[in-house]
Amino acid sequence: RAVLCISGGLPKPTNITFLSINMRNILQWSPPEGLQGAEVTYTVQYFIYGQKKWLNKSECRNINRTCCDLSVETSDYEHQYYAKVKAIWETNCSKWVETGRFYPFLETQIGPPGIALSTDEKSISIVLTAPEKWKRNPEDSSVSMQQIYSNLKYNVSIYNTKSNKTWSQCVTNHTLVLGWLEPDTLYCVHVLSLAPGPPRLAQPSEKQCVRTLKDQTSALK
Amino acid sequence: GLRRCLISMDIHHIEEAFQEIKKTIQAKDTFQNVTILSTSETLHSIKPLDVCCMTKNLLAFYVDKVFKDHRELNPQILRKISSIANSFLYMQKALQQCQEQMQCHCRDEATNATRIIHDNYDQLEVRSAAIKSLGELDVFLAWIDKNHQGTSA
Amino acid sequence: DGVTVLPAPQNLSVQSTNMKHLLTWSPVTVPGEIIYYFVEYQGEYESLYMSHIWIPSSWCSPTEGPECDITDDITATVPYKLRVRATLGSQTSAWSTLQHPFNRNSTTLTPPVMEVTKDGFHLVIKLEDLGPQFEFLVAYWRREPGAKEHVKVVRSRGIPVHLETMEPGAAYCVKVQTFVKAIRRHSPFSQAECVKVQGETLPL
Repeated sequence: RAVLCISGGLPKPTNITFLSINMRNILQWSPPEGLQGAEVTYTVQYFIYGQKKWLNKSECRNINRTCCDLSVETSDYEHQYYAKVKAIWETNCSKWVETGRFYPFLETQIGPPGIALSTDEKSISIVLTAPEKWKRNPEDSSVSMQQIYSNLKYNVSIYNTKSNKTWSQCVTNHTLVLGWLEPDTLYCVHVLSLAPGPPRLAQPSEKQCVRTLKDQTSALK
Repeated sequence: GLRRCLISMDIHHIEEAFQEIKKTIQAKDTFQNVTILSTSETLHSIKPLDVCCMTKNLLAFYVDKVFKDHRELNPQILRKISSIANSFLYMQKALQQCQEQMQCHCRDEATNATRIIHDNYDQLEVRSAAIKSLGELDVFLAWIDKNHQGTSA
Repeated sequence: DGVTVLPAPQNLSVQSTNMKHLLTWSPVTVPGEIIYYFVEYQGEYESLYMSHIWIPSSWCSPTEGPECDITDDITATVPYKLRVRATLGSQTSAWSTLQHPFNRNSTTLTPPVMEVTKDGFHLVIKLEDLGPQFEFLVAYWRREPGAKEHVKVVRSRGIPVHLETMEPGAAYCVKVQTFVKAIRRHSPFSQAECVKVQGETLPL
């Protein structure tokens, strides 16, 4: 049951925004200023643009933390949403503070692909696995972000630690074999996913390095 | 059969122009319970064969109605809207060639979807309708991006 | 409006290269005074649908001129009218309008600057960053009779891009042209540059 409180008795939370990566949509905010030490709690509601009313998120009623996972509620990524939060302390509460319109399809960050590297003397094989869309339960079937963004591309950067040179390749398929490399050389790779549409934040992958094997012919001499 | 009219759309800079005014424009739209384009039944249900006609109709909707009905005083926003409007004018010309080659056939589905959009627009006071339609440009641009992909060089 | 005393700027013209557009005019001079200029533009949309309204330029309202980078104003491939007037305190000149509307599809496209290098057996190219509207068509071939020419579209800007894995002892040549989708035009090809594996870059 909603606890009645004096609205506007507290300053509003600040910096409310959606942090969205691979359609995992987390609402986050900063505590109201000037209430350090107070046991402030928060209540969140969300709104589907074009629908009729604000909806409660029961798991985010009177919570202490300053974030709320709204991935389930915003899982239809072709719709748009608003969310709002208010702060509550004892019998006082702030006014609501609202996000701008949130459009997951255009705003979610595309995470990096999975990278598997294997090598022999003169080549490196790079196998990419498309990033996965967030799913509610681990046992749910996986949906690749490629199924949502059919022309998802990857920018693969290769750094030759011996020559100190870097070069990149833009690929759409998931396997890339770099041949004619230098034996016994450490190469580092990182990959960025590129989706169409307006510019959006992108998370580069962790840098992974692999050393090509020693040249067996010279090893036998 | 009708070859789909996919025109080479460089909408990247239009998306960027809209990104710069999106927050301001959408903040002016206070009717969150109403949408013009965003009802799933309209845009997302358009079949490939109807893409050209729907694109033509929506470009006309924005060029003939939305940009005209919107009054903008802020020069920065005015410049971005002008950029988008003139780009839509150019896209209309690009579609013109398809019309001449009879590849922009309008079936009932596209005509009905267009009428829904105009009806949604007409139910609001004209300035509110214009600001809401401007705020939904990202929906239209994402739809164009998705449906006119085949031609990027 | 201030009393029109100042002469209007003359000789308006636009120089446009690689989608960078510069409006220039002859300066209005009043000894010992600084003249400020206001530039405005009107796209075809404003002419056809908005009762010919004029829009203040992004960077030159005002400017000390006598030139104005209008690249951020000319953002569609339609004709744009441009006008300039001079001001000195409350005095303003009449508007001077560019004789013919400017369309960015008339821009001069020059062959891009490229840097062809190799990393071991890997042919790598680095292209100048001309902005987001530019794509690069890179043609490369193995320098031998009857060699097939390969073409790759490169959109990465200003970073080295892998072109080909070369075979030992072979020489490979590269030339590149830009493509601007917004105006559907190409630049001429650049001079070809060749690289020999384990050798130095050879001019063609």
